[in-house]
Amino acid sequence: MSVAPLLELRALTVSFGGLTAVDGLDLHVDEHEIVSIIGPNGAGKTTLFNLITGVSRPDSGDILLDGKSLLGLPPHKITQRGVARTFQTLRLFLNMTVKENVMAAQYGRTRATILEQMLQLPRARREEREVQAFAAEKLSFFGERLMGYRWDQPAYSLSYANRRRLEIARATATRPRILLLDEPAAGMNPVETHEIAELIGKLRDEGGYTILLIEHDMHVVEGISDRVVALDHGVRIAEGSFEAVATDPRVVEAYLGTTATATK
Amino acid sequence: MSGVLAFQFYNWHYFFAELVNGVAVGSVYALIALGYTMVYGVLKLLNFAHGDVYMVGAYIGWFVLNALGSPLAPVMPLVPLLLLAFAASMVGCSVLGVMIERFAYRPLRKAPRIAPLITAIGVSFFLEQTAVLLWGANPRSYNTFSLRNGELFTSVGFGNLRIQYVQLVVILSTVALMLALSLFVWRTRTGKAMRAVSVDPEAASMMGIDVDRVIAVTFLLGSALAGAAGVMTGIVYQQLNPYMGFGAGLKAFIAAVVGGIGNIGGAMLGGMLIGLAETFTVGYLSSAFSDLIVFSLLVVFMLFRATGIFGSPVLQKV
Amino acid sequence: MSADAPTPGAEPATSPRIGADEWVQRSGERISGPGGLLGRGLRAAERTPRILLLAAFVGLACAIPELTSNVYVVGVVADTLIYVLLAVGLNVAVGWAGLLDLGYVAFYGFAAYLYAELSSGHYDLHWPTWQSVPLVVAATILLGFVLALPSRRLSGDYLAIVTLFFLEIFNNFTTNGYAWNWLGFGASHNITGGPTGLTNVDPFRVFGHVLDNYPTDYVWASAAGFTVVAVLFAYVNKSRTGRAWRALREDPLAAEAMGIPVKWLMLLAVAVGAGVAGFAGAVSGAYYQGVFPSTFMFPLLITIYAMVILGGAGSLGGVVFGAVVVNVLLEVLRTPDHARWVFYAAALIGLLAKLRPWRLLAAVLAGLAAFGVIVNQIVAAVWPRGVAGPIAIGPTSFTKHGFFAAILRHWVVLPGHTYTDSNYQIGNYAFVVVIGLVLVLTLVHGWRRWVLLVPTLWAAAFAWETTLIEQAPTTRPLFLGVILIVLMVTRPAGLFGQTRVEVV
Repeated sequence: MSVAPLLELRALTVSFGGLTAVDGLDLHVDEHEIVSIIGPNGAGKTTLFNLITGVSRPDSGDILLDGKSLLGLPPHKITQRGVARTFQTLRLFLNMTVKENVMAAQYGRTRATILEQMLQLPRARREEREVQAFAAEKLSFFGERLMGYRWDQPAYSLSYANRRRLEIARATATRPRILLLDEPAAGMNPVETHEIAELIGKLRDEGGYTILLIEHDMHVVEGISDRVVALDHGVRIAEGSFEAVATDPRVVEAYLGTTATATK
Repeated sequence: MSGVLAFQFYNWHYFFAELVNGVAVGSVYALIALGYTMVYGVLKLLNFAHGDVYMVGAYIGWFVLNALGSPLAPVMPLVPLLLLAFAASMVGCSVLGVMIERFAYRPLRKAPRIAPLITAIGVSFFLEQTAVLLWGANPRSYNTFSLRNGELFTSVGFGNLRIQYVQLVVILSTVALMLALSLFVWRTRTGKAMRAVSVDPEAASMMGIDVDRVIAVTFLLGSALAGAAGVMTGIVYQQLNPYMGFGAGLKAFIAAVVGGIGNIGGAMLGGMLIGLAETFTVGYLSSAFSDLIVFSLLVVFMLFRATGIFGSPVLQKV
Repeated sequence: MSADAPTPGAEPATSPRIGADEWVQRSGERISGPGGLLGRGLRAAERTPRILLLAAFVGLACAIPELTSNVYVVGVVADTLIYVLLAVGLNVAVGWAGLLDLGYVAFYGFAAYLYAELSSGHYDLHWPTWQSVPLVVAATILLGFVLALPSRRLSGDYLAIVTLFFLEIFNNFTTNGYAWNWLGFGASHNITGGPTGLTNVDPFRVFGHVLDNYPTDYVWASAAGFTVVAVLFAYVNKSRTGRAWRALREDPLAAEAMGIPVKWLMLLAVAVGAGVAGFAGAVSGAYYQGVFPSTFMFPLLITIYAMVILGGAGSLGGVVFGAVVVNVLLEVLRTPDHARWVFYAAALIGLLAKLRPWRLLAAVLAGLAAFGVIVNQIVAAVWPRGVAGPIAIGPTSFTKHGFFAAILRHWVVLPGHTYTDSNYQIGNYAFVVVIGLVLVLTLVHGWRRWVLLVPTLWAAAFAWETTLIEQAPTTRPLFLGVILIVLMVTRPAGLFGQTRVEVV
């Protein structure tokens, strides 16, 4: 049985001013899979996310979602097709309330024109109710962490860990088919990291999302990944289960330098 | 009408005169545009007040020349007289520029992006109205036509291809100033620091660069160039008024955008381009269209090459 | 504040436990708003339902023509309402979407001109109002769209440049458009009437009524328009578009990544604002019975920005408040005598509000009085003409001979013959000195600041009396520029705006 992968990258290449950030990368993510991308800093991981979400354009290669190319689409169209992301450096709408953050992300899923909103015509009112309900549903997914009274507080009043959670909630509110999480555990303490890892698993198991993950924390990667891809200098150097990739000499070399292989 | 037009098109001497004229106008725009582009480079701020610094520069030059007896009885020969006007205006404008940065922009370093922009508009308007208050709204004249029997406006050249001394002064001093600026930016430590700050202020400050000082130096240099441009305008086109900074500033601004904002070479080229486009439109069509032509140029660049002539595509940090 | 600070060990029962959810839950209580009268007024306004505020505002505006027959006062009300409309429209781009729309006044002017062309003898068109006003509004919205189109970058910088340059072109076109020919070919047309503009513009005609009872009818027309706009905008603000605008103001890139078409929303914000300017333009064309190119220039733009910023960009109520305050102040500054009152009252209120404890206040006031009197005595001894000046140009004898005038004459220095050229300069120098002193004030702290405050205020009073009061046409715009700079540096949120937190 061969099911077409949900997301597929074909020979993706991009360079910035002579530096090849992503070099002929092939990658696929199947439905309901959690794929982790690891690699040292500067390996091209975030660049890869920027390419998939349309922030930068590849020099060559193709990006397919469900067999349809995403190339040349503006970022918001790609998101509306079903690709949502979080940012490594948090980019919440800080001065909007928690709930508004999640509601704003549903813009692409609503259709009422500005005239309908001005006159509060039936469609605008119905959509507004749906947006409210859906936002509540998405926030409830995070348990009591983002519950109740916090919804009406501005996002800047949240703790760092809760901001990370809110970013994920906001991304899920776009009704994505695939979630791209850029270092969701960065800057968190071990307890919070553990919670995030559980949450990502829950997102797949209960939420039904497919997840492409960039993560430095190997505990997170180890616990939840179906498959791990290691990048270095924009090239895929290993792929497979966590154990296989983590012990691959090329990966060790990429992280620790050549001396590591020499002493091995 | 069309007969005159045809005559103008085939008259090479007219063309040459217009060309020189355009380069002179372009020099002024380029000098102002450098200030916009440098400030944008380090602060990512559109400094709307810059055009009014240029206006103040023109006034300072006027005061110096008049204090020294110009135009009818200058107390010293032409060259030191002009040098003194330039120097005073450049120093005065640097002080003004640094003060604007210190008191109006620096408190807003961490404010939302729109805040310093609105402040800049406020500063621009404040300078304009202060000039009206202090010096009156009526135009003044450098009257350099009368200076030493119009010595500045005699022409040199061969045959019918003539160029006025004053145009030579403008073009040559612009070239000199630009060379000096390039040397400063590319050869000195402070220049290197400027380039570092324009790439990434945070990283630069971590490398031990005093970002505040670099920004102050940027304002100082940009404003000094604007001051020089103000005096140039005065000696070539005579007239100055408190509102002159608005229009000239806007054109220079567009020159900076067309050349690639943030790029020093781009500002020079953009200034020339805008100056030539404007002069040729006035010379061959009608002065009513010069703004429209410049505007179309801006729109065309924005639609088809938003990064300007020299600007490289800006990397968005994610 | 100190009551909230928990002491270790013995925590008061009322204080929430730090780290617990309660503490977070009650964080709102700990955010300190502005204190004093302003804070109390703010909180009262926040508790009142919006619709009541709207009704009260519109009701008050419409009641004034009934209460007074003073045409000047009613005229100011009509002007103010047009400004309110303009400020509310500009707020869409500047306050909600965070974009710098500098061509706004050109939209307003375009609409006024278009209405004038359609409803005057210029082309001998006299369109009925129900046709001309919708067309004007639609055309202005379209113009907003087209103008915002070239600035395709996510950051709003290019929008600012394009729109500002469009304003310049619009000004040139309206001033020189009396002999317009296309690229030098063909006959020239008189399109805009040139520097003298277009006159004899028709009043509105609504349901058979001709609105030619001049200030009063246009109070009604703009109040009606404002009511509609306020309601529509309040709905938009809490709908998907309003949220998307706020998201775009917060972080355009993140907004785009969340499926929000940022460029489209930029266009929409500029165009919706332009629509309001379009309506305001039509009203002003009809109300002033003419359009003049000098109206729609940079100073007006600054005026509207000052209104939006003073009230608090982003807050509908704040922007309305800002428009009223700024326009009324500008009217008051027209008359030297009133301007004097505004100055001393503002200085006194500022001192009362800012100086704590009262001992400091008393010391500064006493120092101020003593400083003035001493300087006055010195000048009188050294240069008698320096204190020989008259106190007022104003019409009220109160300030000429009254109690207040007597005090002033012994406190500030008023050189005689202020209108002669050399003395005029004294006020100018004083003005420059005042600016310098204010700048130094921002640098020094502690007791130095309070000591320096005394000569600064005195010098400000001196500059105010000797030059600013007499040069009202320049002082008024200067005042607007000062509002913009000072507010932005000290309180960017304005009076009613929400204080925004930037990336931590």
